[in-house]
Amino acid sequence: MLTAKNLTKKYGEQTALNALNLTIKEGEIFALLGQNGAGKTTTINLFLGFIEPTNGTVTINDISVVENALETKKYVAYIPETVMLYPNLTGIENLQFFSSLAGFKYSDEQLSDFLSKSGLQKNAHTQYLEGYSKGMRQKVGIAIALAKNAKALLLDEPTSGLDPKASNEFSEILRDLAKNGTAVLMATHDIFRAREVAHRIGIMKEGNLVSVVDAASISANELEKLYLQTV
Amino acid sequence: MQNIIAKKEFTQTLRDKRFWVMAILVWGLLLTASVVGFMNYRKIQAERSNASKSAADLWQNQKDKNPHSAAHYGSFAYRPKSPLSFVDFGTDSFTGMSVRLEAHKQNDAVFSVAQESSSLLRFGELTLAFVMQVLMPLLIIFLCFNAITQEKESKTLQILLSQGASMQQIVWGKIKGFSGVIACLVLPIILIVSVLLLISFDSSFSWTWLTRTGLLMLSYLAYLLVFVVLAVWVSAKATSSRVALLSLLVVWIFACIIIPKATVNVASNIFPVPTSFAFNKAIQDDEAKGIDGHDPEDERAKILEKQILAQYEVDSVSQLPVNFDAIQMQEGEKYTSMVYSKHFKDLQKTYNSQNKISEIVGLLNPFLAIRQVSMALSGSDYVTHANFQEQAEKYRFRLVELMNNYMRDHSKTGDWEFKVNKNVWSQLPAFQYTEPSFGSVLSRNWLSFLSLGFWVMLSFWAVSKIKFSL
Repeated sequence: MLTAKNLTKKYGEQTALNALNLTIKEGEIFALLGQNGAGKTTTINLFLGFIEPTNGTVTINDISVVENALETKKYVAYIPETVMLYPNLTGIENLQFFSSLAGFKYSDEQLSDFLSKSGLQKNAHTQYLEGYSKGMRQKVGIAIALAKNAKALLLDEPTSGLDPKASNEFSEILRDLAKNGTAVLMATHDIFRAREVAHRIGIMKEGNLVSVVDAASISANELEKLYLQTV
Repeated sequence: MQNIIAKKEFTQTLRDKRFWVMAILVWGLLLTASVVGFMNYRKIQAERSNASKSAADLWQNQKDKNPHSAAHYGSFAYRPKSPLSFVDFGTDSFTGMSVRLEAHKQNDAVFSVAQESSSLLRFGELTLAFVMQVLMPLLIIFLCFNAITQEKESKTLQILLSQGASMQQIVWGKIKGFSGVIACLVLPIILIVSVLLLISFDSSFSWTWLTRTGLLMLSYLAYLLVFVVLAVWVSAKATSSRVALLSLLVVWIFACIIIPKATVNVASNIFPVPTSFAFNKAIQDDEAKGIDGHDPEDERAKILEKQILAQYEVDSVSQLPVNFDAIQMQEGEKYTSMVYSKHFKDLQKTYNSQNKISEIVGLLNPFLAIRQVSMALSGSDYVTHANFQEQAEKYRFRLVELMNNYMRDHSKTGDWEFKVNKNVWSQLPAFQYTEPSFGSVLSRNWLSFLSLGFWVMLSFWAVSKIKFSL
């Protein structure tokens, strides 16, 4: 679903991403670990077409992001690190706005269902977002992805700043999505959460994807050790 | 897609308390300005039409006297206020409203509102034009400065794009949304102005003035649209909301305050206008070179006398069938009138040159363009005033000429006891000022209209070049 071949991004002399080769299949969750500046966000931005690669190809559902950026947007949903959305619109209004941009027309009930599925308590649906906690806003972000029925999900540090319970709920939803065939690429600092939820984990350093491990074959401690050795 | 974004922008703005505070302030000002301006207009207009009527009555009902005494007695011309002058006072407050009409002498228009009123005028008048030209752009800036920067800062821009909206759709959606908000603010004012205009017509309904109002409002909408589009453009280009706001405020200060003042100063330095004293002195000097209407010993009077005697084939003025005094006075009148017209035209040329500078700078600054368009369409610009002065002078000349010619044809030279009555006074119709035609207003100000159109196109073009970059 998500493929990068020899993907490279340079800013002048500096290499932000160096010859990344990565394939994430349907139903697979891939976690990217690495320090700030290791190239995680660059990878996501390349998949979103926000920046152009210096070299290599990047495709979503076998469609080139560089050549057909708008077409690839149909298959992908994106949740940034801090989901701010619009403070003076309600949860339902925010969701309605974003899904109508993607071309969906949902009734208020359907929208409410998406929010509930994302774990947002019913009474918050019609409240303005300015009163939401970070976790609640994150859930609206997930609802946006759900409502889009995206085949691929790109997440940039989705659990940073969430309390453990919200973080756990988030993992549950990701697992559910993967079960239904969604490919997930998440950049994260949370080693424990990565091992919990992901199928494969990649560790990046200075633009290179240094090692890729199966989450099932490694314990949290071993993963931490490997991470510290790598970076 | 654009409409979805526009609708969201509209809803968000209407839910913003800060917007309502600004909107109520601006609304209050617009309403006050239009109502106060209109009442002011009605008062002044009533005073002038009364004064005009009584001047005509005084002329018609003066007692029997020598025609030339009547020419000295003279009359007054009053300039009526245009029906739209309550929207934009223009130069009206500083130009005189009445001209004393008398023999041998061309008087300036006197009694301006500025002369008569207190210090209040010095702080600037609150007019609809001022609110629309200066304050509305400020409101637009506060409304739109973070249109794009805010989305960038909260990363919603990235989500918008990932949902399949293009950067172009986003900016145009924003422009539509904000334009809708501004339209909601301004449309009621257009309605109020139209109603007030209909009231000001009283019995004389005029399609021309209705069309002028339509064009005026259209021009204002174009002007405000330029600010909306430019504000969104700056917001898309700026690195942060702070930078966007600061840049837009700098643009506003330059466009609405510094450049207009500087333009006036520069224009009056390049094309200096003589002081009123110097102007009148120059006229007096030139008049002294001409025939003196009242001095029979004047050399040029002697030449004229010879000509007339030859024409009538007689030896002395006493044998003439006509009154030579009247002929001489009329010659003098012609001469002074010619001198005055020449100096007046030169003065107008200087003012026109100054105005041209302002119009050319208007191509760079839409504020100057809308100011010119607004004054011209409201009939309160200087050109309209100068046109009034010209018409008043023509009327004065006609009055004096009528008296002199009657005296020439019906009395003998030296007969200063000759008196005429009402029948002669009534040969002169009351002074009636006719405004410059709509067509002439348009053709005189084409550069300013062009500038507004140019700015709309330029801002649209700039926005069409916006691309997303991280």
